[in-house]
Amino acid sequence: MIHGAALPALRYSPARFFDARVVLALWRRELLRYRRDRTQWFGGVSRTVLWLVILGYGIGSSYTNIEGYTYTQYILPGVVTLNILFASMQSAISLVWDREVGLMREILVSPAPMLSVALGKVLGGSTVAVAQGTIALLCAPLAGVDLSVARVLHAWAVMFAMGILLVSIGAVIASRMATFEGFGSISNGIVLPLYFLSGAVFPIRGIVGLGGFLVDLPWWLRALMYANPVTYLVDLLRGALLDFQQLPPWLDLLLVVTVPAAAGLAAVTAMSQMRRVK
Amino acid sequence: MGVAAVNEMSLRVGSGELFGLLGPNGAGKTTLHRMLTTTLFPTAGTARVAGCDVVREAPQVRDRIGVVFQEPALDDRLTARQNLELHAVLYRIHPHWLPSRVREALAWAELAGDADRPVRTFSGGMKRRLELARALLHRPPVLFLDEPTAGLDPQGRRRLWDQVTRLREGGVTVFLSTQNMAEAEGCDRVAIIDHGSLLAVGSPAEVKVLVTQRSDATLEEVFLELTGRGLRDEEATARDHLLGFARRGGELTR
Repeated sequence: MIHGAALPALRYSPARFFDARVVLALWRRELLRYRRDRTQWFGGVSRTVLWLVILGYGIGSSYTNIEGYTYTQYILPGVVTLNILFASMQSAISLVWDREVGLMREILVSPAPMLSVALGKVLGGSTVAVAQGTIALLCAPLAGVDLSVARVLHAWAVMFAMGILLVSIGAVIASRMATFEGFGSISNGIVLPLYFLSGAVFPIRGIVGLGGFLVDLPWWLRALMYANPVTYLVDLLRGALLDFQQLPPWLDLLLVVTVPAAAGLAAVTAMSQMRRVK
Repeated sequence: MGVAAVNEMSLRVGSGELFGLLGPNGAGKTTLHRMLTTTLFPTAGTARVAGCDVVREAPQVRDRIGVVFQEPALDDRLTARQNLELHAVLYRIHPHWLPSRVREALAWAELAGDADRPVRTFSGGMKRRLELARALLHRPPVLFLDEPTAGLDPQGRRRLWDQVTRLREGGVTVFLSTQNMAEAEGCDRVAIIDHGSLLAVGSPAEVKVLVTQRSDATLEEVFLELTGRGLRDEEATARDHLLGFARRGGELTR
């Protein structure tokens, strides 16, 4: 019989804050959902084709090079980043959906510690983001970038940190939203500025124009780029894939650890509070 | 917050009872459900579920209840089995028991043959049976059902209702809200609420006599007598906007 008195030892004793099985189950859930989501795969492929092939070759034919790299080489880490950005925002959107009409309501009335739920969600969303970024990475030979196992592993580490940062930012916003009718414009208002101001499509140091003059960026544009945490991650990713970095490596390394960790903490805190509705 | 959705309501539900909460749209049924299932904190007053306070001992309450929401709260991209497995982990089902409990739940919901299909391919009735089985997976002593048969066809409704009434045999306390008078007749006791206040409570027979002074009255007569005949049109909430947006196929809906 399914109902009735509790079976002996049916359940193990409660964990107050952390339950590793809950983290893994929520992580697995994100991956299972991703496997069935063909539209997301298609988005990853179409963005790669659009940005890397069409824009990369289109703009690449106007510029000879950026500090010795072709434009398609230069933009590859940017396209990887773009896919990670979109995957992260989609993960945030699914959180709004989930809370209003989906599985999150079931999770909120369950005894599972929200800390573990949030951790599983952030890790799962980040893993999906890495997978989406890898779609662009697969096109590296097309962009004239030679990959080795070491480079891919290095890139994945940076991409995962990027996923944590962006999924967390998305989760903090999503946990404050009641509906996502406006989410399309909000996410565009976040995704595109973060992308364009990250040095993904044009270099921070400016471009050496025809005739060898350095065309500098306006000071305000530079300031915005330096303020964008994604800039440092894109720079590290470019270092991993091309051995080309525009910023001091120690600064990148410092920020790749601290900023995603801080954002992750903020996301986990915000999600933990989803249960407490006054 | 201007209007109190549930105000000064005093209610006691006995162990093992099938208790029906009746009320028109906007009467406060869902608010009461949310407070008792710990997702909404009452601004005043106390409530205890299975002996535990819903505010101070919320984790203990969550541990002892099973919940079925008005609309499905399943992950429809996962299969029935995966949904049940996830639930089992959330409720700390011991890994030793997990496979057999999931199998039992699938059999009970009559979904054994559809266990590995994504839930999005299920009919409304199949989703409801899956949710009810899921809510029972961890053997809670108390079960909350918010209009469990709403939106089902008569066959699906009958099947689900039979399963609900059979829960009595296992001694599960069932607290359900409904707008279906035939279902309310089948409850051990009912409470009729409106505008957040309790209007009548007792067995269906008691309530009929109490309100109409006749024993041959129907529960529907009692209900209309107490809550009036005016139509209740609710204002659309943020959630309705969300659902409408999804139905229109807005950007990035699943």
